Amino acid sequence: MLGNTADSIFWMFRYLERAENVSRLIETGFQLFLTSKNNIKKEWQSILKTTGSENYYYDQNQSLDSISVIKFMLKDPSNPNNILTILDKARNNAKRSRVSLTTEVWEATNSCWIETSQRLKNNIYDKDIQNILFELREKIALIIGYLNNTMLRNEILYFCYLGTFIERFDNTARILDVRHFLFMPNTMVKNDVINETQWEAILRSLSAYRAYMWQNQNELNAINISNFLILDDKMPRSLKFSLDQILKNIKLIKNNKVKNSDSFNLGLSIQSKLLSRKRNYSYDFGLHNYLDKLISSNIKLGNIIEDEFNFHK
Amino acid sequence: MNAEIRNFQYDESFNPLKDYVCKGYDEAINDKSQIRITYKKFLKWFNNQNYSELSKKDLDANRLFKITGITFNVYGDKDDTEKLIPFDMVPRIISSLEWEKVEKGVSQRIRAINSFLNDIYHNQEIIKAKILPLELIYKNPAYLFQMVGFRPPNNIYNHISGIDLIKTKASEFYVLEDNVRVPSGISYMMKNRDIMINLFPELFAELPIRNSKLYPRNLSKFLKKSSPNSNIKSPVVAVLTPGVNNSAYFEHSYLADQMGVELVEGIDLSIRKGHLSMRTIEGWKKIDVLYRRIDDEYLDPLWFKEDSLLGVPGLMDVYRKGNITIANAPGTGIADDKAIYSYVPEMIKFYLGEQPILNNVQTFRCSHKTELKYVIENIDKLVVKEVHGSGGYGMLIGPFSSKKEIENFKRKILANPKKYIAQPTLALSTCPVFSKTGLVPRHVDLRPFALLSKDEVYVTPGGLTRVALKKGSLVVNSSQGGGTKDTWVIDK
Repeated sequence: MLGNTADSIFWMFRYLERAENVSRLIETGFQLFLTSKNNIKKEWQSILKTTGSENYYYDQNQSLDSISVIKFMLKDPSNPNNILTILDKARNNAKRSRVSLTTEVWEATNSCWIETSQRLKNNIYDKDIQNILFELREKIALIIGYLNNTMLRNEILYFCYLGTFIERFDNTARILDVRHFLFMPNTMVKNDVINETQWEAILRSLSAYRAYMWQNQNELNAINISNFLILDDKMPRSLKFSLDQILKNIKLIKNNKVKNSDSFNLGLSIQSKLLSRKRNYSYDFGLHNYLDKLISSNIKLGNIIEDEFNFHK
Repeated sequence: MNAEIRNFQYDESFNPLKDYVCKGYDEAINDKSQIRITYKKFLKWFNNQNYSELSKKDLDANRLFKITGITFNVYGDKDDTEKLIPFDMVPRIISSLEWEKVEKGVSQRIRAINSFLNDIYHNQEIIKAKILPLELIYKNPAYLFQMVGFRPPNNIYNHISGIDLIKTKASEFYVLEDNVRVPSGISYMMKNRDIMINLFPELFAELPIRNSKLYPRNLSKFLKKSSPNSNIKSPVVAVLTPGVNNSAYFEHSYLADQMGVELVEGIDLSIRKGHLSMRTIEGWKKIDVLYRRIDDEYLDPLWFKEDSLLGVPGLMDVYRKGNITIANAPGTGIADDKAIYSYVPEMIKFYLGEQPILNNVQTFRCSHKTELKYVIENIDKLVVKEVHGSGGYGMLIGPFSSKKEIENFKRKILANPKKYIAQPTLALSTCPVFSKTGLVPRHVDLRPFALLSKDEVYVTPGGLTRVALKKGSLVVNSSQGGGTKDTWVIDK
């Protein structure tokens, strides 16, 4: 497999994962806007922070009204992480690695890009927003479905997963980090109602609300939520799960010869850092520091993968 | 019968050929307006279709093309860089009997061209025999002095050729051009077939249409056979593309995909231990056969264009040491030069001792004084082309040009006569094309693709039919409003 192809395919799946994550964040915000308007500005602020586009937003806008934020996140060119741009990048990388994808995966990606960008380039009305996001996620699900069912089990597929989980790890960590203060002691006591909304927002933006409620008998609390999103190895968007997948796919790419693999070894050290946080640890002043370190190690891991597998000359 | 209900029975009164009026030779109907035998079954079926359903299929076809991503880029067009070539869903049908002649003729032609290339880079017997003037070679930029005296692996130069043909009457084919540099369009031929099977499976179940989808398998076989060293058991083949922004990128990726080989760019390549190698996730891997889709001058900056980033420095040294096959061989372009073209019938006689099967179009070389005089005097009846032009640019079609255009072109020719050749305007055949009001006749040409190895020739059954979609137009190039259609060779 060409290093260049690994590069394109790795980034294609990072961007697809990112597009899905951003669309879920918008959807969460939009739901809260419809159901609990009181604290919505704070929510949008957190969401913009999560995608790293807060500053870009204030360059262009004064107030945080929901529709402006949504349009900004969907298609505003002043926002480098808008859905339209992310999809463009995903599709461009797919085009570069066209030869390593099955026809099904390629055509699903191409039509996702053609149809979504057409839709986004038109005027967007409030009533369309849910539909647009729903259809986008459906189209991405189709790509992933074809990926799982039509691709050979070889290094090409492993790079697809590697990109997906590096991006996912980053996304989950950021969502938690932006709201790390929620996990500090005593906040539960201060304002239950607002916190409930925020807990829900976190879980929904990771498609984890239902799963969490099943595992925790409908009880929202900081300890259980952080256990679930950080350490649960059955939760497909938790940090632990994402990192397990990263390690597994590096191992597969390297044919189990990982002793001297820089990326695998860094992955292991991230794992021990991740697991150093004990379960049920409730007085968590250190959460921000902990997540911050994980995020930067994960970025480093991305760079090391690019070097180890000859992405560039 | 109730008049309202009659309206829904579209087909009874609807005759798709009612407006089908053609002047010259038409492939579907004869001069007595009777349907030719090759088109009978198809048109009978067509006549039974609901026309509004067919119009929907037309839209489906376009959507399918868009999703497959088979697009081309128009250089200098900023708005919408990826365009679709218009697709016409009425097939062009050729009988197997007629096809036999084309197949033999194409095979003969590409073998003669390969012999010519072997000769012209070595003993130059054809010049010694005074058939071809020396200056036509030495003063030609497509003639690579770097290739003189060098034997490419297996003595094959033009592994892949695309021969442009037109039909003027029954079983009468003329060659317009031999494309032996980097002929393109094969992916359209294959995708056209995919889309037709998708839209009209019943026709493929019913009619004995020859399979045109075996090309990639054959291409892969021929490329492997051309390996520089017969000891290599499974030679590594790669397709070299100028990159994702090239107008034919989708074709490059399509062919690599279909053959199951890597698609590489200059940045993926380097010379390691005397071999061309590609950068993989596990380090450098040797390539044995390079199917290049870039022009000669970009192959190696050490030998040709110094500032080219598309090729690989040192590639030509590897080639000259016999460590790689480049398909087509550098320097092959001399054979598809428009001035050399007029000598191909002579080459067939000289190298193969055979009579040419396909006709050549009479060609006037403006470099000759007498011929130049004839061209200037008869320019309104002629097609004038640049010797090195392509894509339908820089040409004049006399009968369709205004006086002013003709005068301007005359001046251009007289300023630099060597740059031009002229040919009589030929009556390209017409074929039915789908339109909202019914079928209409439009001019077509045909590009069959052919593969050559040391012991075998393969010609695609059919090829790419290009069609001038504008009424009366003779220009079939996609860059100027041409479209494509599926080509059927039907066994009896």
